[in-house]
Amino acid sequence: MTTFEITNLVKNFGKFTALDGVNMSAKPGEVHAFLGPNGSGKTTTIRCLLAILKATSGTVTLFGQDAWKNAVELHKKIAFVPGDVNLWPNLTGGEVIDLFLSMRRAGQTDKVRLERLKEQFELDPGKKCRTYSKGNRQKVALIAALASDAELFVLDEPTSGLDPLMEKVFQDRIGELKKEGRTVLLSSHIMSEVEKLADTVSIIREGKIVAGGSMSQIAEKAGGKTLEEFFLSEYEGGRGI
Amino acid sequence: MRSIYGFGRYFRFLLRRERAMSAVWIVCVAGSALLFAGMYPGLFPDKESMLTMATTMNTPAMVALMGPVYGLESMTTAVIMAQECLIWFVMAVAIMNIFFVNRHTRVDEELGRHEMLRALPVGRLTGAVTTLFGAFALNAVISIITALGFMMLHIEGVTAAGAFSYSLSMGVQGFLFAALTLLAAQLFSTSRGVTGSVFALLGLFYTMRMSGDMAGNALSIISPLGLGLRVYAFYEDNFVPILILLLEAVVTGTAALLICAGRDLGEGILPARKGREHASRFLRGELGLAWRLSRGTIFAWGLGLFALGASYGSVLGQIDAFVNDNEMIQKILNTVGSYDITNNYIVLILAIGAILSSVPVMLLAGRIHAEEKHGRLEQLFAKAVPRMKMFLAYITLALLESFLSLFLLTLGLFTAAWSTGAVELGPLLKAGFAYLPALWVMLSLSVLLVGAFPRLTALVWVVFSYSFLMMYFGRLFDLPEWVHKLSPFGNVPQLPVQEFRLEPLIVMAALSLILGAIGVVRYGRRDIG
Repeated sequence: MTTFEITNLVKNFGKFTALDGVNMSAKPGEVHAFLGPNGSGKTTTIRCLLAILKATSGTVTLFGQDAWKNAVELHKKIAFVPGDVNLWPNLTGGEVIDLFLSMRRAGQTDKVRLERLKEQFELDPGKKCRTYSKGNRQKVALIAALASDAELFVLDEPTSGLDPLMEKVFQDRIGELKKEGRTVLLSSHIMSEVEKLADTVSIIREGKIVAGGSMSQIAEKAGGKTLEEFFLSEYEGGRGI
Repeated sequence: MRSIYGFGRYFRFLLRRERAMSAVWIVCVAGSALLFAGMYPGLFPDKESMLTMATTMNTPAMVALMGPVYGLESMTTAVIMAQECLIWFVMAVAIMNIFFVNRHTRVDEELGRHEMLRALPVGRLTGAVTTLFGAFALNAVISIITALGFMMLHIEGVTAAGAFSYSLSMGVQGFLFAALTLLAAQLFSTSRGVTGSVFALLGLFYTMRMSGDMAGNALSIISPLGLGLRVYAFYEDNFVPILILLLEAVVTGTAALLICAGRDLGEGILPARKGREHASRFLRGELGLAWRLSRGTIFAWGLGLFALGASYGSVLGQIDAFVNDNEMIQKILNTVGSYDITNNYIVLILAIGAILSSVPVMLLAGRIHAEEKHGRLEQLFAKAVPRMKMFLAYITLALLESFLSLFLLTLGLFTAAWSTGAVELGPLLKAGFAYLPALWVMLSLSVLLVGAFPRLTALVWVVFSYSFLMMYFGRLFDLPEWVHKLSPFGNVPQLPVQEFRLEPLIVMAALSLILGAIGVVRYGRRDIG
């Protein structure tokens, strides 16, 4: 059974077609990398998956159920980190983490794991969110997500503001999740991260999936090129290098 | 002079940043000071009406509100105007200075903009000195424009000395608050802490002046706001208080600069208060979050509406005498029925207060849309948070706010007017709560717009402005009935002057229920963000 499955997803904003027939899926225990240039439709796809946007046509299923209709129930099994983390300036980081965890309504949180993550990410949870830098706001969202007992982790460029040490903490935790049989949808621009973590890849351009498959298939397609060169050529599409 | 190196360029940059904001403040403060002054000859056409007003003002409630009465033996229009207006314009100028200094000091520092400027070849104190100098210039410009404007208006009793004692009292107190804000910006490490502490100080000064003036002791003169009134503009024109206030400002500003020279960028002298590391049990749900994000609005408006009711209520005892001599005010009050003047006045206060009470109600109902625009909702809705539940949490708070704001408004009115014996709490509450359905219409309109037409949420403020204009000016002109009824507030029976009628209230309550339900259901179905 797939964790999520997106079939022929189309999303229009007025006359503009943001997604033009996207197909994508992932199985338990799989880290699925989601790549594409800015504005290509990554975030829109993720928002449709999370029922924040309503699909114009096509189907989106999570754990075999309709993602829009059963959104609230399904979200108990999901942890999410948005690409642009906006927090409430007058709440502290610790308060936001607790709020996020309790709003998932997935029973008791593993307190030990939560405290360990706070330590590993070196977050001061007693500070108001207005005083946090971009990296620290991202840490708040990441800790709340990684501490949760979710089946699917949807991470939209989660490490863009983190330093290499924190990046390492993040990668270790993703490795653990993979071993536990959980699914990760990872949108990222950091090629080394993708190369290290991903099992499967989808590349989106102008609202369409232009390449996809397992990492070994991608390596085959790439031929002699490095992964980075291959991705760049896919990003550029017909324009070529 | 190394510490203020680059002052000239920094000041030009400050002017560039301020050209819109400060211009608006100058026009608003000086413009409204002159506009109000220009209305006074019409409000008090003869000596008799002035003396009546002066008598009204010479009661404890009014002295508490506006300060001591002076010049009774040679009353002029200018003296009456100064007594009634000066304190309010001083407060406005103080607020302007607090915001001005804060945005050029601690806000810049907090957002990391100041560090980019400090990385340029500028001195350690250039920013602070430039800001203080800018505040001085701003207050000077406002003072001079106001003074010259007074001299050009033809108001009885205006002299050059009076015009300058009035406007310089205003300007120097503004400058004092600029210096106080600069000092606070050295002490606190967050911009909230800075504005919060100086606003608290402003409130303290006002209270000191109030109790000092009522008891007739020196507490009032220790408060800058009380000292500033002792210029006795257009009567004694005493410039000594202005010099003392200027000295206070210079001392405060110097202290601020000394601290600034010795502290690290980004730090305050007082340590930042450490927040909670964990959310309280209450915060962990939709209603808890909505409350946490709205409680500031609820407290501030509650206090404000109570004060509004109290300030209107405090003149209730003298209203008969006052209104009998004033044709324009009679016209505003009297179009409702042929009841006595006190009751007509109550009707008007409640109508204005009820319209203002709708503001926090609409703010709370629309808060979820503000959250959406700030990009904070997607994280919540990615969790097991039903959209309707989140929306209903805000709506519940807005609904409670509708009761609370009308209650506090009425209670304020009653508390201040109680001693006159002109009001009873029961009937007054009934008259106030009659506006509940009108508030619900405004509430449900906000809900409908947020749920179904998120791009048109500003429409609710159009309805609000229309209602306000109708309530104030609609009475001056003879407009057809339906023009009044277009505003929800025009359909409320105006107790205690009019008869109580239940039907319009039921219709409005039902209408709100329908509009609200449509809004909530549509909210569950639309795109977020």
